[in-house]
Amino acid sequence: MAMLACSGIALVSAQITPYTPPKTAPPGADWTKQIEDILPPGVESRAEATARIAAYEPDPVKYPVPRTAWDGKPDFSGVYWPDATITPPPLPLESLYRPEARAYREGGGAAAGLIDWRGIDTPNYHCWPPSPVNGSMGGTVQLVSAPGYLLLLNEGGSNFRIIPIVGANETRPTASRKPSFQGSSVGHWEGDTLVVEVTDFNGKPWLGGAQPPNRLPQTSSDALRIVERWSRPDAQIFEYQAVVEDTKMLTAPWTGPADRRGILPYDTVQESLCFLDPELDARHREFAAAEAKKRAGR
Amino acid sequence: MTTRAMAVVVGAVVVGVALLAGVRLAVDENSTSSFTARTAWGEPNLTGVWRAAPLGARSGSDTFNLAKLEELYTAEARARMKGLSANDDPTMRCAPPAFPRAAMLGYPVQIIQRPGFAFVFTEAYPIFRIVPTTGRPHTAAQYLFPTHLGDSTARWEGDTLVIDVTSFNGEGWLASPQDKPTNASIGVWLTSDAMHVVERWRRVDADTLEYQASVEDRQMLMMPWETPTVIFKRQMIDRIEEVLCRPEDGPETYLARLGS
Repeated sequence: MAMLACSGIALVSAQITPYTPPKTAPPGADWTKQIEDILPPGVESRAEATARIAAYEPDPVKYPVPRTAWDGKPDFSGVYWPDATITPPPLPLESLYRPEARAYREGGGAAAGLIDWRGIDTPNYHCWPPSPVNGSMGGTVQLVSAPGYLLLLNEGGSNFRIIPIVGANETRPTASRKPSFQGSSVGHWEGDTLVVEVTDFNGKPWLGGAQPPNRLPQTSSDALRIVERWSRPDAQIFEYQAVVEDTKMLTAPWTGPADRRGILPYDTVQESLCFLDPELDARHREFAAAEAKKRAGR
Repeated sequence: MTTRAMAVVVGAVVVGVALLAGVRLAVDENSTSSFTARTAWGEPNLTGVWRAAPLGARSGSDTFNLAKLEELYTAEARARMKGLSANDDPTMRCAPPAFPRAAMLGYPVQIIQRPGFAFVFTEAYPIFRIVPTTGRPHTAAQYLFPTHLGDSTARWEGDTLVIDVTSFNGEGWLASPQDKPTNASIGVWLTSDAMHVVERWRRVDADTLEYQASVEDRQMLMMPWETPTVIFKRQMIDRIEEVLCRPEDGPETYLARLGS
């Protein structure tokens, strides 16, 4: 058996194709066209895919939950898209905002002088990671189960989260965590559900966007604490729900929507970094300069 | 020597090698209590947070073989580089440097393995690399587009993970503007989209991971360039920090935050 396994590895190694230099592109070539070309014909639209995933009935008999070889827990590994809400939040997030947080929100919160929320500007346009209410997941996301970890790899923006699972690591958790956009995560299993507590946020993320002129930015504070529940009802999907607590911004913990994503037939996401186009960047700088001047004049 | 005698010799050698291998394995397994030499599925275990000393060519000392790299640039490449300066380095707009440059920055790198894949995360200019470890071919041309970190595929050669990287976008630099190995150096280190990197990662003991890379770029370099071996030491933490590089930071602020 060991012999067979060894020769199997040797065979696989031998499959590496000899290196041939790639076709080189002329400087400044437009690769966007090539990216569009990889979408297979007849691929469903985002709206169609979302509706299909939302209506999907999990079937663990037909599509058994994959389990890891090392601890028998659900294996989340896969590339997923799109995000479908299966249960809306019991209360709108806005209804829980403290009235005394109003001035802070009007000023743009931690994005004061930086993000022109009364215009069309959003944190996305500044390459901030996606909302933590959504697990900091952007569009297409790759989840990876590995011994001691759940990894989250965002295709859009190439942000990632490393979620250590308590008791499954050789290392001890880091004692002090610097405040960050995506917070510091620690997971533990409750049956087949991975429960992740996220703390040590830097107070910058928006929990939800602004809708000028009616809705202010849904800012957060450094008191933000999120408890996420990750589950895999069958091999076709995973499900996610977060409870959001922020004693400085909200009057009570808010239960977010129960969301679900469907698996795609790929095993890797691609590199897709967030860069500002120069025009947008110039507009941001103009806004920041004007705001700084306003403040200096005050 | 008769065929029969030959068979006996060969047999003895095979048994000897098997014994030696057995002894070596036993030593590996017992070297340090917190060190699992092999993953549950039998591969060398590279999982961990790793950090090397900063390397490069600063203040008269060249610790990354950069004088050699400088010699290898073609005349055309030199002519192009003359017109450029530190501000043209893509890390100035937060573009992540690819390995091997990422290995000389001196900031933590985290590796996490699962069957068939290794994932490499960098703390400086944070990004992830997805490295298939089954020796499968590179991503098919139809799905392939050039990127800052390129397309990786790897195989195990004994205990060494050999990663083959192609399909770079030709924007990255091989070293930093501050790296000036000679008095004539201008600190510009261009690459092209023909770059091909072969990396060798090997965990030599509980606390040490060795890294070496060979860089081939037929549009820029006259011959392949070899990096020295970089020694990464294990950090007993479960993950690297999030230190995002965002446009509003400005490069100076980002580097200051990284250093803290």
